[in-house]
Amino acid sequence: MTPFLRMTGRLLGRGLAGLVGILVGIGLFTAVQAPIVDSIGGAPGLAAMMQRLPPILLALSRTRPEFLAATGLTGFLAIAYTHPLILLLAGAAVVAFAARSLAGEMEQGTIQLTLSRPRSREVAYAARVLGLVVVVALVAVAGPVGTVVGLLAARPAGEFAWAHLLPLAVSTAALVWAIGGLALFGSAVASTAGRVVGWALGLLTVSYFVDTFADVWRVLQPWRPFSLFAYYDPGPVLADGTVNPRHLLVLAVTGLVGVVAGLLVFRRRDLPS
Amino acid sequence: MHDPSATAAITTARLSKRYDRTPALDDVSLAVPPGSIFGVLGPNGAGKTTLIRLLMGFVRPSGGTAAIFGHDCWHDGVAARRDLGFLVTADALYPDLSGRAQLDLAATLSGRPPVLRDRLLDALEFPRSLLGKRLGTYSKGTRQKLALVAAIQTEPALLVLDEPSDGLDPLIQRAFEQVLTDLRDRGRTVFLSSHDLAEVERVCERVAIVRQGRLMAEAAVADLRRQQRRIATVAFATGVPDGLGRVPGVEVRHVEGSRAELLVDGEVGPLLAFLGASEVDDLLIRRPRLEEIFLRYYDGAGAETPAEPVAGHRR
Repeated sequence: MTPFLRMTGRLLGRGLAGLVGILVGIGLFTAVQAPIVDSIGGAPGLAAMMQRLPPILLALSRTRPEFLAATGLTGFLAIAYTHPLILLLAGAAVVAFAARSLAGEMEQGTIQLTLSRPRSREVAYAARVLGLVVVVALVAVAGPVGTVVGLLAARPAGEFAWAHLLPLAVSTAALVWAIGGLALFGSAVASTAGRVVGWALGLLTVSYFVDTFADVWRVLQPWRPFSLFAYYDPGPVLADGTVNPRHLLVLAVTGLVGVVAGLLVFRRRDLPS
Repeated sequence: MHDPSATAAITTARLSKRYDRTPALDDVSLAVPPGSIFGVLGPNGAGKTTLIRLLMGFVRPSGGTAAIFGHDCWHDGVAARRDLGFLVTADALYPDLSGRAQLDLAATLSGRPPVLRDRLLDALEFPRSLLGKRLGTYSKGTRQKLALVAAIQTEPALLVLDEPSDGLDPLIQRAFEQVLTDLRDRGRTVFLSSHDLAEVERVCERVAIVRQGRLMAEAAVADLRRQQRRIATVAFATGVPDGLGRVPGVEVRHVEGSRAELLVDGEVGPLLAFLGASEVDDLLIRRPRLEEIFLRYYDGAGAETPAEPVAGHRR
């Protein structure tokens, strides 16, 4: 195995247990949606319930009764992908990797093992980026895998386009890549993993808050374009099988900007003592 | 493999490092000859570790340059570290890896085979049964041994060791010193920092003394000792005679009863002539130990200049 892949493998291996736990959590959460859909009267039953919700609670659901009524099973299953728990788990996976692999290694001194060898900082950073891509891919796939398992196990009533899970995974990957790219930038700037997690948690909370409540609190509307979650709308993706290219572009570029900015910082910064 | 005779193993030229406005290393110029063991001495905070971190490219110089085998440590770091072994602190090893996996990882990253691994494990009496266990279960001394093996196992042309014997028991420390001298005899260069002045005196040919980030002296240990005043301890039969302090080149440092400790500058002839006319029970004349020389540079803490200039002194 080449030193580069060995570095990447080491970075992924260190947090493997936690990553597997998060992936299982995401998969389980999306899997249980199919078995419970019939118990609440299917998508129409849920849509009827939602029509009685006050606007603030409706905003938290991140969907619309009319969308549910129109899309049926697909619309119901899509709700899982905007649930705060799923977003928290997906964000945690990439933020934890980004924080641990760079700031955490600088904090503990383990990065010295690599950088005292004939390996450049650029290569060391590239190993982190490759690791991040792997984590992003796994997180993006975990949800659809859970949905497939749930559908096969419960076989609920209603139509579902299996092929639409692929664009959903792409859309999820774009969101998680953007979060991961920004977290990697934070990791290049910070000297402790805890600080990166704190920054990322704050950013994600504000971003989620702005996007979720912009419809019911007008003062937030101008800030909505700055929220990462404004570019992640799994309902239409799952229903139509297409991803808004502008959304993909914004998230992909955001992640890329974070990654490149992180490289520029890391290649010139002092390692903490 | 680098040709040891081609260029200095390490050179620094007016090397400086400041953290915010605080100087950690100030205008340090030195050259480490290839095929030698070079020691850096200084208390905590003197700048030893900063010097090593600059050599490793972990931090960027605020001024000046550092080079390893002619390659700039910051701008051409990969080439500078191509045949280098560095001792990471024992706490900076991966606690979730086994000892064997840690050594394999270090060798892979070095890009060289671990030709000395078995010999080092034997020399440092590392229990082979521990190699399959996670580092988190190791004692501090065992982790230090593993870190040393990881640094040296590829037999690099240059070894950079920060406090290498930290955590080693005295017997293993002596065995480790033998490893270093063997490496030196095979043409390798060792650059180490240590608090243990006796160890440095035993293994190093040259030393640099740093204080408050500044290089106070750089010289061969033998030259350093030769150029310092000898220490004479005299036991007189009937008390310390008058006139001892007026002997040319002699300074009375300490008197206790009929014993006197003297510092002798230059030739010992005048002192011996004086003692020949006195009743002397015992006489010992010796060169100062490195520890005594080192402490002289730290007498009167806060002084801006060295206590006494020596050959090779760059300031």
